[in-house]
Amino acid sequence: METLIILAIILGTYLLAVAKRITALVRGFAIQSFFLFLYTLARAHRENSFELYIVAGLLFALKVAVIPYSLSNICRKIKVNDNLGLFMNTQLSLIFALVFTYGAWIFSKMLVPAQDAGMAVSLTASFTVILVGLFIMVFRMKAMTQTIGLLVMENGIFLLASSIAGGMPFFVEIAIFMDVFISVIILNIFVHRINKLFTHIDVTKLTRLKG
Amino acid sequence: MNFQRIKTLGIAHAVLFFCILCASAAMLYRVAVQACPIPGCGFFLLDGLSVFFIFVIGIVGFAAAVYSIGYISRDVRAGNLSPRKAAMYYILFDLFIGSMFMVVAVNNLGFMWAAIEMTTLVSAFLVGFYRTKQSIEAAWKYIIICSVGIILALLGTIFFSYAVSVAGGPKSLNWTDLYAVAARLDKNIVRIAFIFILVGYGTKAGLAPMHTWLPDAHSQALAPISALLSGVLLKTALYAIIRFGLVVNKCLGGPGYFSHLMIMFGLVSLGIAAGLLLVQKDLKRLLAYSSIEHVGVICVGLGIGGPLATFGVLLHILNHAVTKSLMFFGAGNIVSRYGQHNMRMIHGVVQSMPFTGTMFLAGTFALAGFPPFSIFMSELLIIIAGFTKGAYGITGALLFFLALAFGAVIYQVSRILFGRQPKGMARIGEPLSAKLAFIFLSIFILVLGSTVPWVLKCGISAANEILKGI
Repeated sequence: METLIILAIILGTYLLAVAKRITALVRGFAIQSFFLFLYTLARAHRENSFELYIVAGLLFALKVAVIPYSLSNICRKIKVNDNLGLFMNTQLSLIFALVFTYGAWIFSKMLVPAQDAGMAVSLTASFTVILVGLFIMVFRMKAMTQTIGLLVMENGIFLLASSIAGGMPFFVEIAIFMDVFISVIILNIFVHRINKLFTHIDVTKLTRLKG
Repeated sequence: MNFQRIKTLGIAHAVLFFCILCASAAMLYRVAVQACPIPGCGFFLLDGLSVFFIFVIGIVGFAAAVYSIGYISRDVRAGNLSPRKAAMYYILFDLFIGSMFMVVAVNNLGFMWAAIEMTTLVSAFLVGFYRTKQSIEAAWKYIIICSVGIILALLGTIFFSYAVSVAGGPKSLNWTDLYAVAARLDKNIVRIAFIFILVGYGTKAGLAPMHTWLPDAHSQALAPISALLSGVLLKTALYAIIRFGLVVNKCLGGPGYFSHLMIMFGLVSLGIAAGLLLVQKDLKRLLAYSSIEHVGVICVGLGIGGPLATFGVLLHILNHAVTKSLMFFGAGNIVSRYGQHNMRMIHGVVQSMPFTGTMFLAGTFALAGFPPFSIFMSELLIIIAGFTKGAYGITGALLFFLALAFGAVIYQVSRILFGRQPKGMARIGEPLSAKLAFIFLSIFILVLGSTVPWVLKCGISAANEILKGI
């Protein structure tokens, strides 16, 4: 069951890699977070742990509901052109994402003992998510996509933590959630200010500071 | 009326930071001199190293709070800041310093990560405080680059906790627990984890080639914030690297791996900084690159290792924090007087602002590593340690880059300090609070250049005790 959810997370990640518009990217992020929520819920059920239920609840509230809502809200408010501005077309991006998965698989085999295939799969999934997040940050032009890329990377880290380290201590988890939430708020504020000052949110044109 | 109120707020704020400084000194005294540990209740870890960093943050925080009185009230009077925004500044300032205290005081590495991320988030507002195009761009770059870096550091932290769970240790991210089981950890996992830690927190510490956010953020932030960024924020990230480095060394049974990485990153930072110092046009960017240079010196010192080098490193952390703060305060005065950062357009600072000019001149020599100032002493200690350890090539390279940076800084700054002041520049007094901050910091620079006072020596030795494994 958990392996199926992990496969769904990987597929959701490919959706992110091929998204051409900001709305699609936000929706992809919400879908990915939803599967992450299911994964945490499954773990909570298996381990019968109250703390994990709370973590799952927080994950749903923040990453499936509040953050995607606020991201699409700010998109609407600043009336920005919906196109992402791709440095790399979707086919090539998909190939990159597949290469990431393959590389992550090799790396995971190195890291975990050979008999533990389930862990290798979840490790592969988390590295794929982290790398695709980084890829979105680098190869897409809008300031908003960097926010989403960061969030995707954070999702990958969350998956990694829950699959290999058995999750982080409860209060650390809460602190990290708080940090992510605050950083999204702050990044949104800055996107707003960039849009107001520069009348665009194209980060390739932020080139005043040099040397 | 409003202007007076902001000034009173600033003075009250400085008094608060004086109390914090006294408290941090008392903690240092208690831990280092009386050798009486402070109970952390498992949440805090207040050993010699933490207390030393708390003391450094206390000093720079107090100096920046004093300097802010004049700086902020002048901006309010000139109409650049509304009184409400000025009050906001003080709140963000406190949050920023509070989160830095959190970084060096908590035991749990997950909370430490969260606190470091918090320093980025809070200070990003202070970098983009004036909402000009440049400052918003700098703040965006700062927050994005540092957040990505710090996510990698979180990845490294998770690998460490994975290593602990593989070794059958307790499910905990406390540094003390991690250190206790360090010898049993899987060496390969620890090696990989430390790479992520070094790249992640190294981004925040301004190590090249992840330093690109640093000159932008330092040059666009308000002057007291630049001082805090450069003086202590970079050091808190180094603190995190040191904590993980101790675990790595204990796990691998020797400092080899850690020391090679530190020397490599340190020398690259030194080289890049020394080169770019030569061609800078912007005054505050010049100081920012000098920070990268000094972080490089600290990393090379950590890489050389041994009690003498680590003593030098700790002293250098304090010396650089104090000197760089003085320089940023001076640059703040100069920039607000001349209305620009461009060094080609600034002339005759000594003539137009005698006090700031003199202090800035002395600070420049101190920063470049000229005797009898403090940075000379700490750099000398690191270099002696390098030669006695037989690391001739590394120490030689360190000396070469230091000489290059020395020439570059002196050359650049002498051009703005001397010469005639622009015509029509009215003589106005320099704010008293800035003078007080200068005097406070210059006492440290002068005293530490000749001797390390007994209490501080105990403090550094206590911190050095922790760094035994490096």
